[in-house]
Amino acid sequence: MIEKEDSIISEEEAAQYDRQIRLWGLDAQKRLRGSRVLLVGLRGLGAEVAKNLILAGVKGLTMLDHELVTEESSRAQFLIPVNNQGQNRAQASLERAQYLNPMVEVKADTDRVETKPDEFFLQFEAVCLTGCSRDLMVRVDQLCFEHNIKVFCGDVFGYHGYMFSDLGQEHNYVEEKPKVVKPKTEESNDGPEAKKTKIDSNETTMIKKTACFCSLKLALEVDWTNEKAKSSLKHTPHFSTTQSIVFSPFVPLFFPTVLLKFRTDKGRDPHPESFEADAMLLRQIRDDVLEAMGLSSDLLPHDFVSYCFSEMAPVCAVVGGVLGQEVVKALSQRDAPHKNFFFFDGMKGSGVVDYFGPK
Amino acid sequence: MVTLQLVGSLRKELADSLSTCRVLVVGAGGIGCELLKNVVLTGFKNIEVIDLDIIDVSNLNRQFLFQKKHVGKSKAQVAKETVLQFCPTANITAYHDSIMNPDYNVEFFRNFMLVMNALDNRVARNHVNRMCLAADIPLIESGTAGYLGQVTVIKKGLTECYECQPKPTQKTFPGCTIRNTPSEPIHCIVWAKYLFNQLFGEEDADQEVSPDTADPESCVLWDGDIKRVSTKDWARSTGYDPVKLFNKLFKDDIQYLLTMDKLWKKRKAPLPLDWLEHQKLTCPQGVTGTGLKDQQVLGVAGYCQLFSRSVETLHFMLVDKGDGAELVWDKDDPPAMDFVTAAANLRMYIFSMNMKSRFDIKSMAGNIIPAIATTNAVIAGLIVLEALKILSGDVKQCRTIFLNKQPNPRKKLLVPCALDPPSANCYVCASKPEVTVKLNVHKTLVLALQDKILKEKFGMVAPDVQIEDGKGTILISSEEGETEANNCKFLSDFAIRNGSRLQVDDFLQDYTLLVNVIHCENLEKDVEFEVVGDAPDKAPTRSQEEGKNVANGNKDSSEPSTSSEGEQNWHFLIYNCNLAKIKQSSLTPTTTVTNGINKHTQCVQIREVRQ
Repeated sequence: MIEKEDSIISEEEAAQYDRQIRLWGLDAQKRLRGSRVLLVGLRGLGAEVAKNLILAGVKGLTMLDHELVTEESSRAQFLIPVNNQGQNRAQASLERAQYLNPMVEVKADTDRVETKPDEFFLQFEAVCLTGCSRDLMVRVDQLCFEHNIKVFCGDVFGYHGYMFSDLGQEHNYVEEKPKVVKPKTEESNDGPEAKKTKIDSNETTMIKKTACFCSLKLALEVDWTNEKAKSSLKHTPHFSTTQSIVFSPFVPLFFPTVLLKFRTDKGRDPHPESFEADAMLLRQIRDDVLEAMGLSSDLLPHDFVSYCFSEMAPVCAVVGGVLGQEVVKALSQRDAPHKNFFFFDGMKGSGVVDYFGPK
Repeated sequence: MVTLQLVGSLRKELADSLSTCRVLVVGAGGIGCELLKNVVLTGFKNIEVIDLDIIDVSNLNRQFLFQKKHVGKSKAQVAKETVLQFCPTANITAYHDSIMNPDYNVEFFRNFMLVMNALDNRVARNHVNRMCLAADIPLIESGTAGYLGQVTVIKKGLTECYECQPKPTQKTFPGCTIRNTPSEPIHCIVWAKYLFNQLFGEEDADQEVSPDTADPESCVLWDGDIKRVSTKDWARSTGYDPVKLFNKLFKDDIQYLLTMDKLWKKRKAPLPLDWLEHQKLTCPQGVTGTGLKDQQVLGVAGYCQLFSRSVETLHFMLVDKGDGAELVWDKDDPPAMDFVTAAANLRMYIFSMNMKSRFDIKSMAGNIIPAIATTNAVIAGLIVLEALKILSGDVKQCRTIFLNKQPNPRKKLLVPCALDPPSANCYVCASKPEVTVKLNVHKTLVLALQDKILKEKFGMVAPDVQIEDGKGTILISSEEGETEANNCKFLSDFAIRNGSRLQVDDFLQDYTLLVNVIHCENLEKDVEFEVVGDAPDKAPTRSQEEGKNVANGNKDSSEPSTSSEGEQNWHFLIYNCNLAKIKQSSLTPTTTVTNGINKHTQCVQIREVRQ
C-alpha cells in the first residue's frame, strides 16, 4: 500500500501538475509523489514509459539497462542524444530524462537485471520490464508478487505490442463517481422559468474497490487445447481473411508468444539486418504456435513476419502510453486497472484488454 | 518468396517516401509535441510545424519538448530545437504564427503530402479543414481531453470533412439568467467575466451585468429608455472605488432586482450584501487541510477583501497602460482570476449557492481541460500510423479510432471505426454548398452578418458577399475599407428581403457558400439568426456536466462550452451499445451528453445520429 505523503504540495508542483491534478485529484498526485519505480530496458518502449512516468511526477525512476548505444538505437529513441555510440543506454538517456522533470529523482543503472539480487527490487513500489526474456519476467514477477510490488511487462515488435500487469492478489483502488442529486419534485406545475436555486450537483463520492491479479507464470500457462476455451467465441478478437473468419480467444497472445519464443531462442529480437534468417525462424515458430493453438497456418498473411521487426516509434508511443497510465493508476490507487493484458495491433489500430489466467 | 527490404520496421518503399515527402504539423502543444517526436522517429525528414502560442508552466506536465527555462518562448521554435537534439538530420521549419494567417494560402498547403492537426479549438480546425479541401490534401484530425481521445482522416471526396456533421455549438445563457436570475455557479462566473470586461476590458453590448428590466418575467411597466451610463464610465466617475463598486453591484443592484417581485414568486430571492457589515467578520486565515491553497473556499468576508484588492490592482494596471487602455481577461493573470473568483463567489452567496474555490472557478472560467501526457502519446501514435497508411496508398485502410478510458463490452480500449463518406448536404464540402438562414432583414446589420453569421457561425475568415440581385451588388468586401460604410446599415437597406440569395466567397479558403435569406420577425429572444436545418439548442439536462466546462471554441471566451466532450467535440459513441444500434436510435444531435469527458466517467460518449 503506497502511503501518500501528507506533506503539502509546493507551489511549483501545483503549477506544473495543475492540469493533471484537475483530472486525477490531489490525493492521487501525492501517492505518485511517494512512489519509486524501476524501469528495465531503455529502447523505444522504455523511453516512452520513462517519459510518461517522469512527467507524471513519481518520486524516483531508476532506469536499468546493460546494453550499449548503437547507431540504430540512437534513431529509435528520443532521450539519447546523437553521437553517444558505445555509451551505456541508460546512462545516455539520463540527462534528457532528468530534464523532463527536475522534481523526480532519475537514476541510471548499467547492470544486467539478471545479476540483481532479490533485495534490489524491494526498494520499489512498481517494476516495469521491457525487452526481457520470458523466464526473467516470470522470475521477477514471482518475487515482486510475494512482496506486494506492482509488476508491469511490455514489448513492441514492429507494428505489434502488448503489456501485462500483475498488481498482486488484492489491489485496492477508488473510483470517483458523481453523487446523484435528485431534485425535489413536490411542485408539479413549475413553469420552465421557475426554478428553485439548485444545490451544487458537482459533488462526488469515492467508491472503494478491489481487483485480483494472477502471476505472469499462471497467465502464460494457457491450455491451448482446452475445448471450453476454444469455444468461448462471443466477444473475442479474431483473425480474418477475405475467405473466412476465425474466432479464438488466444489470437491476441499469438504475437507476443511467437516473438518471446524467438527472443528466448536467439537472445535478441528479429533484426532487419538478418531479415532472411530471422524471417525463416519466425515462420517456423509461427507454425509451431498455430499448431499448438489448433489453428491452420494459412490463416495468417504470408508476410506477417515483415511487420514484427524493430520497434515502431508510433507503436511504442501507444503501448508506452497505455502502460504508463496503468502504472500511474496502480501507484495512485485510482481508477480500475486493465486486467491483465493489453494488446495493440498497429496495422488495424485496435487495442484490446483481455484476461489470461486462472478464473 | 518475395525478397523484402526493411528499414527498421518499414518496407523500403515506404521508408523512402517518408524521407522525401513534406508534412505539416499544426500545433506544437500537447498532441503536437508527441506528434513531432513520433514523426521524426518514424523517419519523416521534411517537417513544418506551426503554433501561435508561447510556453506556460502548466504545459510542462505533458508538452515534454519544453523545460521550465523555456517558459515564455515560442512553442514551435523550442519544439524544433529540442527535436533536433535527438535527430539533427531532420529538416524542420518552425512558424510562430497563426495557421489562419492569409500567408498560409492554398498554395502553401499544396506543398505538403499530408497535414496533421494538433489543435485545441474549433475555429482553427474549421479553417484547416477548408484549406485541405481546397488543396485536396489529406488531413489527419485529432483531439484529446482527459483520458479520452480520437483520431480520424479527412480526404476530399472520400470521407466526411470536419464540418459534415453538425457540432454542438458553444452554449450561451440567456441575458436575463446572467443579469437577473442566476441559478447555477456558472451563471455567476459568466457574470463575473462580463463584469471584468465592462470595468476593465472591451465593453460589449452582449455582456451587460446590470439588472435587465426587459426581462419578460419581470413585468416592469416602464420601458428601459432611461439613458444609462456605461459601467466603465460610472466606475471611472467613482475612481474605481472598491467600496462604491461593491455596494452598487452587490447591494443596490440586488435591491433593484428585488423590486421585480414577480421573479421571486417561485425562486429564492437574493440577499443583498453590505460592505460594512462584512468588514466586521473575520475571514479564515491560512491553509486548512491538505488541499492546495487554491482549493480553499474562503468565507464571504474573505471574498469581500479579495474583491477589493483585485479591483485596486486591476485599476492600477489599467491606469498604467494609459488612456483608452483595455485589459484582456486571462485565467493565468492572478488579479484577473482573483477578481472573477471574488465577484462570482459574492454573487453565488447572494443567490444562496455554495461558493467555490479559486481552483474550481478557474476550471470553469478558463474552460480548462484537464490533460495528461499518456493520452496525447497514444493519440499521437495513432496519428502517425494513419499517416503511414496514407503514404502507402492505403487510404481505404484508414479509420476513425476512439480511445476510451475503459474497454467496451467487446474488450476494446481502442476502437477503430470505418470512415464515413462525405455528407451530401455539407455546407462546406458539397459541390455547391448552400444554407438557409432565418433573420430579420430590418434588424440585422451588415456587420452582424459578417461577424456573427459568416465568420463565427460559418467559419469564414475574410468573406466577400455579393447579392444575387441581377446587379451583382457587393455587400461586403474583404478588402479593408471598401465596404466599411455598409457595416452600420441594415440588410433591408440593400433590398435584401425574404428569398434573397447571397453569394459568399472566402478566397483564402477557396470556399463559396450560397446563403438563402428567410425573413422572420419572431425569432426567440436573444436569438439574432437561425440556420435552417440546425436543430435548435436545448438547455442541458441536469447532469454532472453543468458547471464543468470543457472548451471547444476559444478557451478564454466568456461563454462556457455546452458539450461535455471537450476539445474533440465531435463523434460520440454510446457506451455499451454497438454502432448498428446507434444508427437506429431515437437520439438527435441535440440530445444532451451526460458524462462526456469527465474525470468521473469511464467513457460515455454519444454518437451523433445522422438524420
